Amino acid sequence: MSIDLILSGLQQGLILAIIAFGIMIPFRFLDFADLTADGAYPLGGAVCAVALSSGMSSATAIPLAMICAGIVGVCTALIYLKLRVNSMLAGIILSTMAYSVNLRIMGKPNVALFDCPGLFSASVECNILLIVMVLATCMIPFAVFLRTDFGLRFRAVGLNQNLAKLQGISIEKYTIFGLFLAGALFGLAGSLMVQIQNYMDIGIGIGILIHGLASLMIGEAIVGNATLNRQLAAPLLGALVYQQMQGIALSLGLAPSDLKFFTGSIALLVIFLKKKEKNT
Amino acid sequence: MLRINNVTKSFPRVFEPVLKGINLSLREGEFCTVVGANGSGKSTLLKIISGEYRADSGEVKRNGDVSQVVQDVNKGTIPAMTVLENIVLSRTKTPRFAFYWRHLNDIIDKIRSLNIGLEKFIDQPLGILSGGQRQAIATLMAVNSGGKILLLDEHTSALDPKMQKMLMEYTARSVRELRLTTLMITHNMEDALKYGDRLIMMHSGRIVVDLKGCEKSGLKISSLLEMFHKFEDQNLAAIGTENVN
Repeated sequence: MSIDLILSGLQQGLILAIIAFGIMIPFRFLDFADLTADGAYPLGGAVCAVALSSGMSSATAIPLAMICAGIVGVCTALIYLKLRVNSMLAGIILSTMAYSVNLRIMGKPNVALFDCPGLFSASVECNILLIVMVLATCMIPFAVFLRTDFGLRFRAVGLNQNLAKLQGISIEKYTIFGLFLAGALFGLAGSLMVQIQNYMDIGIGIGILIHGLASLMIGEAIVGNATLNRQLAAPLLGALVYQQMQGIALSLGLAPSDLKFFTGSIALLVIFLKKKEKNT
Repeated sequence: MLRINNVTKSFPRVFEPVLKGINLSLREGEFCTVVGANGSGKSTLLKIISGEYRADSGEVKRNGDVSQVVQDVNKGTIPAMTVLENIVLSRTKTPRFAFYWRHLNDIIDKIRSLNIGLEKFIDQPLGILSGGQRQAIATLMAVNSGGKILLLDEHTSALDPKMQKMLMEYTARSVRELRLTTLMITHNMEDALKYGDRLIMMHSGRIVVDLKGCEKSGLKISSLLEMFHKFEDQNLAAIGTENVN
């Protein structure tokens, strides 16, 4: 495996870590199985691509993409809370709807960004540093938030909803906030990815949820989730390991078209190993 | 103060009402123990007071927030959170954007007042503690949550005798110091007589015995058990008659 492949895997892994964080927040802190990643991630990419191609700077395009994708998360939360639709079904419905919205935003199935000034340069090392800074800017305030009174209440919603209600905690407000945050992270990942690739394709979100979920599970299998620090480290570590595993598989001669099968197999293997560990 | 006026409650597919016109008034700081056989309506009454169930008729007047400790400690706590986090959560009614460990010293003092050395587990997940230790923390959480009405539903029933005694002493001391209006369900007749200012016995959805002051303090455990069995025998006789008919 070449150093270029490792660095490229690191770059992709850091973006995947943002998605894994987005999956972890509702899943682990709100006990909410949110499947909107498949819709919110390309929505972030689409908004960012259209904003950049219309002359906006990255500094404007990225927050705009995050807000739009965050709204998708809020819609999922509202469908779940107000219409009493199962959380997974709400996510699937929103992701399906987002596909059409993305096509409307882009006006065509793909947008090239080769002539637009993006956030990233040709140097992978610089790009990695930049993504680390973006990741830190998002996750350090979140880690601090979890250690405040509000963060404690946020975590209580997922851990014991009945107790949270007894303590006067608004389940609705915290669920909406958590899903906005998750959606915004998906949007951030999508907007960074289109700037790295220099194009946006309508199909970039297909299967992204499985990649993120597999990353989270691998991370939790490595460091566990018994403490807050471990829980926060799991998506980052898992995404980096997972991406390198894909790199190794490719360098060993696996066809890129077989990667989705490989991803699913890894996810199943981790689930099996975790169950086995629990039973012993 | 807590006032319950003519409260009734029925459940679907249960022929007889679970509560049949309950009237009870507790003054501020009054500690009332509740005894009665299984199915007599004790827990339903507590759930109506806490707001978990709605009464079919009648009204409940409360002069403050209600805090409670239930038999199943997992329902009243979060095992995955640390001892400190659980206690902070129960105390914080108006959250702030400030680190929650600012309460650390105050909470250590509160845990010390339990006198069972739990302060060394302050930063450990509550789930690693024994059932008794967790129930002690759950009681501490309820007592210090700022509520003026305290509801205890067999909160010591799953504990060993030593832990039971310790937790009952702590509960009684806290109720007295904080002047909490308290309703405590127990199957332990000794505790029912020893603690509190008042004792009520429930039977088939009604309060059948209500003892205060000298009446309660002068009562012997044998007399209380006699009363309890008298009502139970009546119940069995009634069931027998129904079956014959």
